[in-house]
Amino acid sequence: MAQWQEVQSLANAYLEQVHQLYAGAALPMVVRQCLAAWIEDQNWRQAAEPLSSHARMLFHSLLALLGECLGSPGLGDEDFMLKHNLRKARRDLQAEFDECPEKFANVVANLLQEEQRILRLGQAGGQGGAAPAPSTPQESNREQQIQRRLAEFHVALQEAERAFRHLEDLQDTFDFCFKVHYLPGEDRTSDPQYAQQVQALQAKLQILDRQRREVLAQMQQLLGRSETLRDFLQEELGAWRERQQRACLGATVDTRLRPLETWFTELGQGLFQLLQLLRALGDLRQKVTYERDPLKAETPLLEQRLRELLIYLLQRAFVVEQQPSMPNTCKRPLVLRTASKFSVRARLLVCLHDRNHRMEAKIHIDRDPPKIKGFRKFNILTSNSKTLLAGDSPQDGLVCDFQYLTLKEQKDSRSGKGSKGAGEGPLVVTEELHLITFTLAYAYCGLELELETSTLPFVIISNNNQLSSAWASILWFNMLSTNPKDQQFFSTPPPAPWPRLAEVLSWQFESVAERGLSREHLLMLAEKLFGSKPSPESTLAWSKFSKDGASGFSFWAWLDGILGLLQEHLKQLWKDGLILGFVSRKQEKKLLKGKRTGTFLIRFSESILGGVTCTWVEHPESGPPAFRAVVPYTTAELVSLALPDIIHDYQLLVEENIPENPLRFLYPDTARDEAFGPYYSQRQEGNLMEQKKYLNRRLIRVSSRQANESWQTEEELVAATENLETLQLQPGGLGTQQPGDVAPLQPGSSGTLQPGGSGTLQVTSGNLGMLQVMTGSPGTLQPGSPAMLQPSSPGMLQVMATSPGTLQPRSSGTLQPGPQGLEPLQPLQVGSGVSEVLQPGIGELEPQLVLQLVPEGQGTLQVLPRGLGVLQHVGPEDQRTQQVGPGAVEPQLVLQLVPEGQGMLQVGPGGLGTLQVLPGGLGTLQPVARDAGMLQQVGAGDTGLPPPVLGAVEPLLVPEGQGMLPLELRDTESLPGSQDVQELLHSLVEELEPGSGMLETLEAAELMPNMLEAMDGGLEGLGPGLAGSAALVDPCDPFLPQLEDPTLPAVSSLFTATDFPPLHIDANDFQ
Amino acid sequence: TGAVGLYNVGQSCCLNSLLQVFLMNIRFTGILRRITVPPCAAQKRRNVPYQMLLLLEEMQCGKRKAVSPINLACCLSAYRVKLFVQYDAAQLFLTLWNLIKRQMKKPELVEELSYLYTICVQEHLACQKCSSETKRNSSMLTLPLPVLDSNSDMLKTLEDCLQYFFRPEELTDHNMCFCEQCGRKTPFLQSMKLVHLPQTLTIHLKRFCFEKSAYVHKLSHYLPFPQDLDFNAILTEDQCQADDNEKATWQYELFAVVAHSGSTSCGHYCAYIRSLTECKWYCFNDSEVCQVWWDDVKCTYGHFNLHWGETAYLLIYMKKHPQ
Repeated sequence: MAQWQEVQSLANAYLEQVHQLYAGAALPMVVRQCLAAWIEDQNWRQAAEPLSSHARMLFHSLLALLGECLGSPGLGDEDFMLKHNLRKARRDLQAEFDECPEKFANVVANLLQEEQRILRLGQAGGQGGAAPAPSTPQESNREQQIQRRLAEFHVALQEAERAFRHLEDLQDTFDFCFKVHYLPGEDRTSDPQYAQQVQALQAKLQILDRQRREVLAQMQQLLGRSETLRDFLQEELGAWRERQQRACLGATVDTRLRPLETWFTELGQGLFQLLQLLRALGDLRQKVTYERDPLKAETPLLEQRLRELLIYLLQRAFVVEQQPSMPNTCKRPLVLRTASKFSVRARLLVCLHDRNHRMEAKIHIDRDPPKIKGFRKFNILTSNSKTLLAGDSPQDGLVCDFQYLTLKEQKDSRSGKGSKGAGEGPLVVTEELHLITFTLAYAYCGLELELETSTLPFVIISNNNQLSSAWASILWFNMLSTNPKDQQFFSTPPPAPWPRLAEVLSWQFESVAERGLSREHLLMLAEKLFGSKPSPESTLAWSKFSKDGASGFSFWAWLDGILGLLQEHLKQLWKDGLILGFVSRKQEKKLLKGKRTGTFLIRFSESILGGVTCTWVEHPESGPPAFRAVVPYTTAELVSLALPDIIHDYQLLVEENIPENPLRFLYPDTARDEAFGPYYSQRQEGNLMEQKKYLNRRLIRVSSRQANESWQTEEELVAATENLETLQLQPGGLGTQQPGDVAPLQPGSSGTLQPGGSGTLQVTSGNLGMLQVMTGSPGTLQPGSPAMLQPSSPGMLQVMATSPGTLQPRSSGTLQPGPQGLEPLQPLQVGSGVSEVLQPGIGELEPQLVLQLVPEGQGTLQVLPRGLGVLQHVGPEDQRTQQVGPGAVEPQLVLQLVPEGQGMLQVGPGGLGTLQVLPGGLGTLQPVARDAGMLQQVGAGDTGLPPPVLGAVEPLLVPEGQGMLPLELRDTESLPGSQDVQELLHSLVEELEPGSGMLETLEAAELMPNMLEAMDGGLEGLGPGLAGSAALVDPCDPFLPQLEDPTLPAVSSLFTATDFPPLHIDANDFQ
Repeated sequence: TGAVGLYNVGQSCCLNSLLQVFLMNIRFTGILRRITVPPCAAQKRRNVPYQMLLLLEEMQCGKRKAVSPINLACCLSAYRVKLFVQYDAAQLFLTLWNLIKRQMKKPELVEELSYLYTICVQEHLACQKCSSETKRNSSMLTLPLPVLDSNSDMLKTLEDCLQYFFRPEELTDHNMCFCEQCGRKTPFLQSMKLVHLPQTLTIHLKRFCFEKSAYVHKLSHYLPFPQDLDFNAILTEDQCQADDNEKATWQYELFAVVAHSGSTSCGHYCAYIRSLTECKWYCFNDSEVCQVWWDDVKCTYGHFNLHWGETAYLLIYMKKHPQ
């Protein structure tokens, strides 16, 4: 917009200043208005210089234009006053300035300058508020500053060009006069006219000299300002580089280059223009020069300075726009795999090039390889050079885009060992950093130079399983390296300050699941790493971050496992904040303590790679709150059943045989279905009327436990049932079917499931003393499939029924050894060898027993003690064995397994406190009658049996056990395969009855928690000898001192003991 | 008000820059305006302060964008300050100042002028053998700061340069001095204590180094200087010899930067000056004057990779709280 128009649109306060400006001015405002555009186009400043002929020319032009205005038809009669004013103004001007037009030029120049000043103030004030801003316009943000300065730079450049053209005119005039008037050959000294002419020439030369100096001064000024711009752009580019680096690490930042490209191009363009101007100045000197010609000394100086500036700008302007990355792992750039395609792209931000000149870009890998022994060398396959493309549309910019590149390792013939760097060099493959360098032969406007830029260092792997640790290297480098080309960074990797690391870790979560780590998460991680609250000075060593620790995996591997789990299964839950995630056990208790029973939170396992679990709180009627957690789910489980569904359907078998979902409120207090409702998968509505070949089935997860509150762990029951709906439809149905017997079967409830085809039922019970057997529909049991049992964890006991119909002794044997913890007294049935067997479970976190019962083959029950230290000790010496698995152990109550619902307690022979189930077990099963309150001992004869069983455990218990089976069991075998398990069991029970005498009550004794109570009662009634067996009983039992017993093994925290202090079980937790 | 340029009248960019620094300093012009006008025309022509005053008047009266300092330049040439010769700004500053001082007739003005610009230090020379010590008061117009330390390593900031400048130095080996008490050459400890700092403090960054005897080259590396300078934060107690009242005034604010671009053999000077009345920065490139910002001034910090750009050469600081 023209200046005068802008002035008129100023706010009143500023308009007032304009009026004041013109109040006393020699140039009336009416003239200014009338000839606004013309006036603004002239160089009044130039004309104002003394002795300028320009001023007179301008002055007369103005008068002439005014005359034209007066005569123009555009001014009608209605503009009578205007005409009058113009006429008067013209007369006044002529009278005042005819003799001294330079003065007039000066007046106009100053008026224009003053207008500009007011304009600036007004515009700045208008932005900043109504108040007129007396000070200079605020330099707001950098971006605006750059834009303003670029605009100013262009204005100044135009002025310089105008001044240059004026100089050309002056020089031409002088040159002409000089050639005409100066005649050095003749002696004209006496000629006064000649002397006058020479004098005039001299004066003209003076003016010319001054103009040259002025133009030079202008250029100096321009260069000075462009240096500031250069610094600004450099700063912005530096900030962009940092952003790009952060973006590579997963931060969400703006990495667009467009603004920078525009700025660099504008400045570059201006500078090239200036360069041409300087060259033109040099040409002027070629035509006319004189002693002390300022152009002589100063032009080369200016050109030197300008070239240096341009070169600097161009070198900075060549950037790697896209760091090398493989298409399928774009969230983790800078990790390349040999023989896999990758791409990389560089851009020249100064978008100026000569279309007739082809510029070629080349790439080189490791142009200056670090001197590291065993450093692998690679070739880039496919072409390593490319013509710099100027896209068809100017918006595309100057880009060299290398796609479909692959890397191939050079086989080093001299070393003879290929180039396996891993063994030879000090650096492992994933710590070996490589660089790709771009070079570009740039030429424009006579300036030729080679530009160069490098990618960030990247890691080259040959197998996907190196991806995680390669990424750790990339994180570490980009987080800490001060030199982006430092390929030897990992020779002495610096430690990471915690605040910086925390930020980067958070980005990982943000990039995977769009939600970073909260302050609490980071606090937990810091405590895990540093063992205490982090201080801002806390640093973590590279080895502690990335190298395997005592737990068998590194901190990073653990975290990356969680990232993988999130990515695969929990993205949405994490994003929506439903996963508390990083919560230490201590913290989790603190959080849950004050919450309602059934309040739960979801956290990541600290001991299993990529595991997630739920912990909930229960407030027993008396005693401290209890916290329970399920064995962590990993991808293996989540792949078949999503976490929200697990939560929704999760069942815990508790007293009164009514299974319930203990997960009721998501911490802090959102109802479960409200929190997770949106994430449940669609239920398949079963149409009951329809005849189906198969029942629908749904997978749910179930845990069972004894009532004993002291148990920290639960067992998890995984049962696959068919047609869950059906089961639910018939609540109680099953129970009803089963006379009095085994309560454990709960229809609808728990996981009654049946393996449809496969027949594999697996019941895993963590700790329990509970037996759970669930068959969904008995009919469905398929005896035929033998294979069913699968030991999920190695330490498990499995009992398998091979042949349908037949109960196998083993199955009965499925009983699992009780937890040691309880009864110190216990008998000893297990040899020390046994304890080892148990140990497999040790590593596992939550020491629990997992029982797996596989009903399918009816006969086959499997109970597997997973984690437990739980075994019985044999004599005192054995106590050590208990402790063997440090990790393993939470002292738990003995397991009681009642195979399929028989509800039987089994007491090891000899009256040991420990529950053991012996294969021979059936015989050994001891029904506990509730009413009776009695524990039953296994017959003495049986006692002999257990040990063999235990030994057998590791593999499968069975064989030996079989031999041991009591007669009764054999009888059971004869039962028809078709029978329901329950029936089968029932029949077993009946058979047992005689022996036990307690049978009537047997039903009650079933797996139910109350059983314990029953047992308690029974214990009281029992003689001292029996008391030992009472160990099974609730630890709260005053008779049982174990809890305080120092020999109780500590429960390991989720982490390995070396890394983290073991959690000790607080006795308070139990009481 | 406002800033007016000075035409280049023959490699006079150095003179122009210094004149701007003088004439934009209202404390200096306050003294200049009170000089005695020389009685006759010939004396007027040869009187530097008077010519400066005329120039100042010309700059202030007209609404012209620049004026020509030709008369002053001619006047100076009588004192061997020639046109068409590239001067070193620090040297020219001393010459100019001494000419002004000498030609100001009134003693009170001379005193005021000295007070305005003179730095007072006390030099200590202590024999390391006996503890005899000699002190000498001396005054300086500029603080000539080295930008490299004795190992030719670059000093990082202006503050570092100042600390390095005031750091005591041991004179040993062939630098030993003769101690009258010991009667022989002994090692000495030479130190300098700051006694007084003037209202207008001129700091000279010695951005050149002599290499291979005759060849001088310019040091254009990065050396930042602050807008606010507190000597109490830079010098230690024993580097000062001043009372608390004096020290309390050692708070400075940057007033001007005389910057040089080019090489030692040929180059260009310009001045960045903060107008004391408007509190705005201006850049004076001979006849070209434009308003700038602190960011522009910062560009004269220098650059490790660029050798032709502008680098600060003289820094002129002003006391924040004049007495």
